[in-house]
Amino acid sequence: MLMQFAASGFLLGSVYGLIALGFAVIYKATRVFNFAQGMLMAVGAYLAVTGSVALHLPVLGTFAFVILSAAVLGALIQTVLIRPLAGRPLLPMVMITIALSIILRASIELIYGGGGRTLNLALPSGSVLIGPVRISAIHVTAAAVSWLCMGLFMAFFRFSKAGLLMRATADSHEAAVLSGVNANRINALAWALGTVLAAIGGLFLGQLQLASVELEAIGLLALPAVVIGGLQSIPGAIIGGLLVGLIEQLASGYISPKARDIFIYVPLLLILLVRPWGLLGERELGRV
Amino acid sequence: MISNRLRLLLAGVTLCFAGVAHAAGFESPQDGVYADHIDWGMTADMSGPSSGAQNPWGQGFQTAMKVVNARGGVNGRSINVLVEDTRYDATAERVAYEKFVSQTPTLGTSGMGNSSAQTAMIPLIKRAKLPVLGTYTTAKATVEPPTPYFYGGFCGFKEMAQVGVGFFTDHLSLKSPKVALVRLDVASGKEFAGYVEASVTARGGTFKDIPIKVVAADATPQVLEILAMKPDFVAIHGVTTTSILVMKGLAQYGLTAPAFAITYLGTPSVYESLGPDAGKNYSFVSCFSPASSDPKASAAMSAAADQYGQGKLKDDVNFVAGWVIGNMVADAIAKAGAEPTREKLSQMVNAGFTANTGGLSSELKYTPTDHLGLVGLKPLSYDYGTKSFRSYGDYADFTKYLN
Amino acid sequence: MRRILRWSLFAAFLVYLPFVLNSRMVFGYRVGNMALLNLGLAQVDLMLVSIIGAVSLNFLTGCAGLISVGHAAFFALGAMAAAAAGQQLGLPFVATLVAATLAGALAGVVAGLPSLRVRGLYFVLSTMALHFIVVFSFAEYQYAFHDVAGVTMGDATILGYELDSNVKWYFFLLPIVVLVCAMLQSVLRHREGRAMLAMRDHELAAASAGIDVRVLRLKVFAFSSAIASLAGALQAYYLTTVSAEIFTLDNAIHFVAMIIVGGMGSIMGGVAGAVVWLLLPSVLVGTVVEMKMLPGTLTQFLVSHQPQVVNLTFGVLVAVLLIRAPGGLAGLYDDLMRRRRV
Repeated sequence: MLMQFAASGFLLGSVYGLIALGFAVIYKATRVFNFAQGMLMAVGAYLAVTGSVALHLPVLGTFAFVILSAAVLGALIQTVLIRPLAGRPLLPMVMITIALSIILRASIELIYGGGGRTLNLALPSGSVLIGPVRISAIHVTAAAVSWLCMGLFMAFFRFSKAGLLMRATADSHEAAVLSGVNANRINALAWALGTVLAAIGGLFLGQLQLASVELEAIGLLALPAVVIGGLQSIPGAIIGGLLVGLIEQLASGYISPKARDIFIYVPLLLILLVRPWGLLGERELGRV
Repeated sequence: MISNRLRLLLAGVTLCFAGVAHAAGFESPQDGVYADHIDWGMTADMSGPSSGAQNPWGQGFQTAMKVVNARGGVNGRSINVLVEDTRYDATAERVAYEKFVSQTPTLGTSGMGNSSAQTAMIPLIKRAKLPVLGTYTTAKATVEPPTPYFYGGFCGFKEMAQVGVGFFTDHLSLKSPKVALVRLDVASGKEFAGYVEASVTARGGTFKDIPIKVVAADATPQVLEILAMKPDFVAIHGVTTTSILVMKGLAQYGLTAPAFAITYLGTPSVYESLGPDAGKNYSFVSCFSPASSDPKASAAMSAAADQYGQGKLKDDVNFVAGWVIGNMVADAIAKAGAEPTREKLSQMVNAGFTANTGGLSSELKYTPTDHLGLVGLKPLSYDYGTKSFRSYGDYADFTKYLN
Repeated sequence: MRRILRWSLFAAFLVYLPFVLNSRMVFGYRVGNMALLNLGLAQVDLMLVSIIGAVSLNFLTGCAGLISVGHAAFFALGAMAAAAAGQQLGLPFVATLVAATLAGALAGVVAGLPSLRVRGLYFVLSTMALHFIVVFSFAEYQYAFHDVAGVTMGDATILGYELDSNVKWYFFLLPIVVLVCAMLQSVLRHREGRAMLAMRDHELAAASAGIDVRVLRLKVFAFSSAIASLAGALQAYYLTTVSAEIFTLDNAIHFVAMIIVGGMGSIMGGVAGAVVWLLLPSVLVGTVVEMKMLPGTLTQFLVSHQPQVVNLTFGVLVAVLLIRAPGGLAGLYDDLMRRRRV
């Protein structure tokens, strides 16, 4: 049993990690805590439905379609909603992302109608038995793709020019701008990436259950992941996601589903009290 | 030039007049009944958490009314449906009900698909006397004992449990059934668990209660518990994703025990998402018949659905429910006479009213002691080959399981 | 003299309003639904309760700079405390309200403790975690001591006079709203209130000016939560039955939206924000329903998807307001006044 829970926890946690990574990218680059990340996940799932059902694209084509559309959407959101609020205090920034999730939800319902849509991509299905542990093919695929994305992203962040510029802008906005960095473009890129990550996570969750706006609530579970791992830390977000996935499975399995909330939110509270910058984050200094 | 003092005096006088005008008293005129039309209220969750199920219900209800109006209405009046989106929010239900009482008065209202809202509003319904005729779900407290002016429009959890457990016990020829129930960790889930347990223990069987959260990305813990028990059959209560996650999980583990779900989970989208592998052991119990399970009885409904652009919904049991209730409401209004009032309508239904649903549902009958309306159910499953629903018999075949 | 006249007219309007909304008649003439903006008295009563919640949040967030999404949790706490005091201890209505307020104050101190360690976003997240923990506790309490379907509150009777109609509730809630607003306004005007504003604007400077920031923060939280819990208890009595499912994070976010729309830091802004946020959807819905009469496929599509259109309009309105009018309605009003003076 323990092995099974650990395995499912790890696999599910990888998807949470992907979503948490999207949060972290957006936060690290633009200092915006994107409460609409969950809804962007749902958007990803619905985009996959359009790609596979309306456009009859094959699996890889659907993936490409989702990634491209999500990137465009992310950049658009940053330009229209986030950029005008640059430099504003925390509350308006929080509220604009909430307004964004309301707008996204209403738009999804207008375009696709209420109720969920079936997402049946031609992804590996079935399951294999490894010792006492049963692994489902779709879970493994989801986890593998998540890790691939996370790896690609880490490489991008560390080695590519754009990634370097993003880290520079995140560390010191003024210095970057003074050095001639087009901060707007970098921020749009960060949002595009964050949205793409959310969309891929949403695609897999939609494949596992249903493409619906209710996926947003699962995105909300990734939020403690980001905080526990460290809002400012990319690897931290991933580890946070894995932890949340594991806790969820173990708590639900050994105690009861109700315990899941307690075991996620109480540690969250404790972390915030004891080590608010997360397990792997950096302490933020306050200036007078 | 009017001095300020005079202005004050005028204001005061106006206030007094206002008080007098109010003291003259006001009664809602014709209960939403006008010369050429009747106003009828409808509340449903159209943009909230259960909109996936309640939206089709609302569409079914409104389509039924459109057909009635196209045929000339009821006693020469068309029925004008006033729709309020209550987003599964108890306060919004309360506001909407009060609105239909006196703000935009209606002859009655239907829908109200929120059990806690229904329970909370029992005193208000008794006081305001606006008939609630045909609800989407029916809270236990509203029918035990029967609330005046309140008439349910959906099968109850107790009957779902009784028919489900009874049918599968006999279908699998079991002496003492071992049943596992996966249910949501909410009020109605607990209620349903109680009914399933009662039915199972009455047959000398063993029962296991396995809760699951509404927001769940995965059902592995629940599936493992089911596997550990090795039940004869499984019962499911939840939202559509509950069924999908549990059945897919069971299929992965190669568990072939049949499962039956509550009525709300017997929609084409659930079966589509499950696919033939996971869906072949999945059934549900319902008091409404999807169109494909009974083409003869549903001919009129299918035609209407196609005509009004709802063709895709005719196999959705929620749409069928809305359609049946819409027709029942039109029938009741017709029976209330040429000068209907709320009081007359409610008296007529309470005295004993049987709706003619043409076989699309089990018997829909209200009596002075039974405001639940729909008591019978039958089990159904889905044939992926012909892409149609199949029932295991007629409603009458399963009344023996009810008590 | 002018001001007194304006205020007495406003007071007269407030007194006459419930009768108009109830009877749908103004001075004896029946008025159409849209003339009354598609509003009902039940809505107004619930709005009054929300105003209490909104101004208390504005006090906390707008004036003291502590952003919280925990207000739904305090509503739940107030309802739970009132239910427990009423059922388990058998206290009468007013006493349960007092119990709810005290419970809220206590909980506020506890909820404020994280603010001694963290600020800004992390503090928001701590209030979010608290929300889930409190609602979970409410659910457990409900299942243990009351019915699964909901907690039934006792009768709301004051000295034998029962609040059993919307009009009676209106005249009970209105003075409470006025009192709460007046009280908060006066706190802001005095020393502690100004210390709060200083703390919000520049905490380190305020601390170096000798203000005990830590104690002040806890006081503010206790005060704001006490009021929010009172509102929660009132709402529970009004609805007569409450269930844990009612208290969602969305509700808490709605309160935040109200104070942003109204304008943070201004008590009257909180009132305006609550009024607009709660009543605007009805007005929009009423307008859409009127549109039903117009032909055209686009209008028909909009009408049949009425809830989504309303939600979309709302989201866009909030976004536009945030971008163009950061001070909210209060800010717009101030701008207008300033321009008139010039």
